[in-house]
Amino acid sequence: MLNLAPHNKLGLDIQSPLIAGSGVVGFGDVWPPGLHAQDFGAIITAPISASPRVGAAQPRLVETPGGFLLNTGGHNPGFRRVIDRHRTTWRRLSTPVILSLVGGEPGDRAWMAAHLEPLEDVIAGVALPISEDVNLSEAAAFIAAVRRATPLPILAQLPVTRAAYLAKTVLIAGADALIVGAPPPGAYPVRQGFIEGPMGGPAVFPYTVRALRRLADLDLDAPLIAAGGIYTLDDALLCLEMGVSAVQIRGLIWRDPAEAHRLAINIRPFMPQVEEIDPGET
Amino acid sequence: MVQVKAKLQARELQGAVQFLRVASSSMAERLQPGQPVLIKVGWGHDPFLRRTFYPISLESDAFVIRVPPDADRGRAWLRMAPEGTELDCLGPIGAGFTMPTQAQRILCVGRGESSWWLLPFVNAASDRGLAVTLAVEATTRRQIIPARDLPLSVEYHVATRDGSVGDKGDLTPALPSLLRWADAVVAAGPMAFYQQLRYTIESTRTILTRGYAQVLVATEFFCGYGACQSCVADVAGGRRRVCLRGPVFDMVDVFRS
Repeated sequence: MLNLAPHNKLGLDIQSPLIAGSGVVGFGDVWPPGLHAQDFGAIITAPISASPRVGAAQPRLVETPGGFLLNTGGHNPGFRRVIDRHRTTWRRLSTPVILSLVGGEPGDRAWMAAHLEPLEDVIAGVALPISEDVNLSEAAAFIAAVRRATPLPILAQLPVTRAAYLAKTVLIAGADALIVGAPPPGAYPVRQGFIEGPMGGPAVFPYTVRALRRLADLDLDAPLIAAGGIYTLDDALLCLEMGVSAVQIRGLIWRDPAEAHRLAINIRPFMPQVEEIDPGET
Repeated sequence: MVQVKAKLQARELQGAVQFLRVASSSMAERLQPGQPVLIKVGWGHDPFLRRTFYPISLESDAFVIRVPPDADRGRAWLRMAPEGTELDCLGPIGAGFTMPTQAQRILCVGRGESSWWLLPFVNAASDRGLAVTLAVEATTRRQIIPARDLPLSVEYHVATRDGSVGDKGDLTPALPSLLRWADAVVAAGPMAFYQQLRYTIESTRTILTRGYAQVLVATEFFCGYGACQSCVADVAGGRRRVCLRGPVFDMVDVFRS
């Protein structure tokens, strides 16, 4: 057992260092063949916004060298509908569920977090993706606003290219753990023009490694979760050796569920062992 | 939906087009006409995305896919893969064509490459003793299904833009009489083709009713199980995931705004 939020009184205990990244199992309602909730230490839902979003029109997906570029435009049915439809599913799942809350208007994420109070026994935490173009004060402001709204563990997902720049600020603002990181955005030509959006695939892994190296120099007192370009056990073990507590996978599950299942089994013996921290000490 | 290792059992060449027989009883027994299979291409992680194939023949222990020549490096790998290669297949995806319960006369209509994807349905309907007409339009004879590949009982109409086979032009002149004859329609082609088909149905039969026409909304899939949201289409009154709601839709839903 590993606690991803040791400084939070609620804690976030995971049984496996492998986390299903945002949206790989939808809202916990869609699963690929051969994979189950118990294969993961936790699952992160697809992004949830305060109001419904129809998302981007086609085309949304393009293959790039060594990966892909996917822009869904934040397609989701909105906070209220997601909660109504999926709260029962989350209660049944045998692994912690982390809601990925995305902003639109300022205050949206805090508003959603405040409305999670009745679900605090069902939801294990919230993940907050931070966009590429926010500055330190904006990042601190919305993390702090969510911190005030909910006692649930907050996992701040840092943009991979600016992780070291933002890390300390978001921790001071109230984040309990850092996801490193949100994949770099890119653009790639398709027949109808260009698709612009976050990149994925093994090509992204060097960005993740670079960000982890920079964060290691900061000596942060918070768990790190590596995300982006992790496709093999070797990738995952490299991240664990670099001091992360858990690794998150996404594209691997979409591309090859059987390979993801093998990774889920093979990574279990490498679960990081950490000393228990008394929340009262912080 | 299953993920299986299937053996590339045989390769048949017709000009530059390849027909690949992929052996997997666990996949074949699940496949319905119109349901695609996602096949991993390449030996490693590149090319990254699986390629989407709509089988053109379904057997008890295998299925056949058609791989026409194109510039895609993933399909190029598949064309080069030696017989005996193990292919990683994910499928079947979504919902395929359903056999109309009341209909006796079925019109299958397709445009270009997509018309090949109707073949499993044509064969299944013919095996059930239904009267089947297949009408196909294409740019050239290369895309046309040879008559020898069809059951003897199937009536076959062909139109090519260059007039190399069948009528010159498209199916527009032939469709009204075919639609008056048919009591169910099954179609595969691009959206523009469905718009033209819908217009002809409404002008021939006054109204397009639910259950009359099924259409295959072809798209490329990534995960195939509803998570990645890459395959959405504006159908059934919203932006829907084709892998969950389709790829075969009632034509009424395709044009429901």
